[in-house]
Amino acid sequence: MIVVVGVSHRTAPLAVRESLAFAKDRLAEALVALRAETGAAEAMILSTCNRVEVYARQDDPGAVEAVERFLARYHGRDGRELQPVLYRLADADAIRHAFRVAASLESMVIGEPQILGQVKEAYQAAEEAGTLGSSLNALRNRTLAAAKRVRTETGIGRNAVSVSYVAVELARKIFGELKDKNVLLVGAGKMSELAAKHLVRSGGRATVLGGRTFEKAAELAAALGGKAAPFESLRDELARTDIVISGTGAPGIVIQVADVESARAARRRRHARPLFLIDIAVPRDVDPAVGRLGGVFLYDLDDLKAVTEANLRERLKEAAAAEALVDREVREFLDWQKAREVVPLLNELRRRAEEIRRTELDKVRRRLGALTPEQEEALEAATTAIVNKLLHPPTVHLKEAVRETAAPEQLSLIRKLLGL
Amino acid sequence: MSSHVYLVLVLVFYAVGALHVLVQMLTRRHLLVTSWTVVATLVGCALHTAAIAQRWTEAGHFPAVGLHDGASLLAWTMVLVFLVIYTRARLEALGLAVYPVAFALVLVANLTPVAPVGDPVLKGVFLPIHTTLAFFGYAALFVAFAGGLLYLIQEHELRARTPRTFYYLIPSLERCDTLSARAVEVGFALLTLAIITGMLWSHAVHGVYWTSSPKEWSAVVAWALYVALILARHQTGWGGRRAALLGIAAFTAVAFTFVWMNVLAAAAGSRTP
Repeated sequence: MIVVVGVSHRTAPLAVRESLAFAKDRLAEALVALRAETGAAEAMILSTCNRVEVYARQDDPGAVEAVERFLARYHGRDGRELQPVLYRLADADAIRHAFRVAASLESMVIGEPQILGQVKEAYQAAEEAGTLGSSLNALRNRTLAAAKRVRTETGIGRNAVSVSYVAVELARKIFGELKDKNVLLVGAGKMSELAAKHLVRSGGRATVLGGRTFEKAAELAAALGGKAAPFESLRDELARTDIVISGTGAPGIVIQVADVESARAARRRRHARPLFLIDIAVPRDVDPAVGRLGGVFLYDLDDLKAVTEANLRERLKEAAAAEALVDREVREFLDWQKAREVVPLLNELRRRAEEIRRTELDKVRRRLGALTPEQEEALEAATTAIVNKLLHPPTVHLKEAVRETAAPEQLSLIRKLLGL
Repeated sequence: MSSHVYLVLVLVFYAVGALHVLVQMLTRRHLLVTSWTVVATLVGCALHTAAIAQRWTEAGHFPAVGLHDGASLLAWTMVLVFLVIYTRARLEALGLAVYPVAFALVLVANLTPVAPVGDPVLKGVFLPIHTTLAFFGYAALFVAFAGGLLYLIQEHELRARTPRTFYYLIPSLERCDTLSARAVEVGFALLTLAIITGMLWSHAVHGVYWTSSPKEWSAVVAWALYVALILARHQTGWGGRRAALLGIAAFTAVAFTFVWMNVLAAAAGSRTP
């Protein structure tokens, strides 16, 4: 039986999640302690900023409480205090949960890509600590494969949901390839720096316009592998650039309509390429009237947030397709697991039958004395045929019955009936 | 099987393709053209080729005259051109324009009777050469037109700053613009050759290169507009919105040429080049 005990952003506030988090370098030690204290046959711990979960294979039904006690004890918390925020899942529910977490369906931002790597690392750590057995390993292979299918076959992770990535995505919608596009940074804030980094990584060339302190601009330009220019050259730079990210702390308008118009006039002589302005300053840097000029696309912080929200809605639509895919994968895994449960039973049945056949054959041989090779062969063939024919229907039916329902009581009844 | 039976089957397969694209668009799945659509299109296109071949033997001349044959042939060239672009560039959004139009054209072909033709002028080699060039030219120019439309829609979406369906479905402005520019170049070359062969054909039949029919005029107007568009793109770096608008305007002249030849002239009984 696979169980999951844990907390997530859905059940517990950050303070509680923090207090239950496992440090990466102490994970191996924690896993070994967990196995020793709870009697779990296998264990894995997934600890990220949004969730802390213990996955374990337990054969004793009272084991869930043992895992809870371990969590409380390990972190020096009162177990009763944790009761309302902890969730405990077993069997099919636990397996479904494992698939959904890896597929990013349980994430705070649905479709975020990091969780897959985190789940991979968690299994890796368990493997290195020696607490991963065949059950959890099978779960690992199937959940990771399903998560990859979700990523490639649905659009769940397709549209950006952070403001800086949305800026890059919009630039792509306008320019297609971003290679060799000129990016002009006016003012250096954290968010504009982040967006510029994404753009440079996609092949853009950065120019940083200096403000009061030119050194700061030069520093940032060096970090972005671009060049710095004084603020006075704004119009010249505007004429050269494709993408502008403006995020100064100035109280008024920094980029006027006249600036952009003069830049457009200079550009038109060369090539009528679009101009994309991203204004992430509050109060705004770019005169909103700039957005009404031809060939100019102006997005302020609210616009970027609107795109982020629209993208999130797109993701939620795709999540429905992802849910269906995960459901199918979970069902397949459960079927496979049930089929696996019946294998030892069938092997035992076969072994037992063979044993009986041999004993009875020996008895017959002792009674009849020496037999000719032909007689020996006939006897052998007849007894084998009897065993096979008798075992065939129960073998087939067991496999089928188990696929539909495999309650433990039923399996034990079958064992009793077959005298195993 | 007669060409009519083929054409009905073609309609069914194109309908599957068109409906599937429509459904994908409305449900906004991330793939607009799925393998289902591609298979339906390939089967439809193969049947369409058979239909045209069959119709050729039935008519005794290249099946390009009259609304029935003209619509069918144009749909065939459009689907072929779309398949070529799709395999090379995966430009799925183009399907939004091609599928409905190809379906509508085959529907028209199915609903209109075959024009009875006995004109000896249609027996020559000029008919297949001239019309094949012209029809592939129309298809390429239609792609340019569609690229321009997609550009304008995407630009509108980007300017509205609140992404809706088309923002997600249509590729970048750059790609729409490049598609349009390439398609105009190819379409223009074909159109030029079609006009030249048309004039030669006219000369062979009437003894003059120019008969001053509305069709000839509209073809030349379209040609001149495309010259202006290509020059503007190359010389002054024109592109984007203005190029899209001019491309759309030029295509209306092309559309008129087609309609004149295959509807109005056919109705008037004049089927000479």
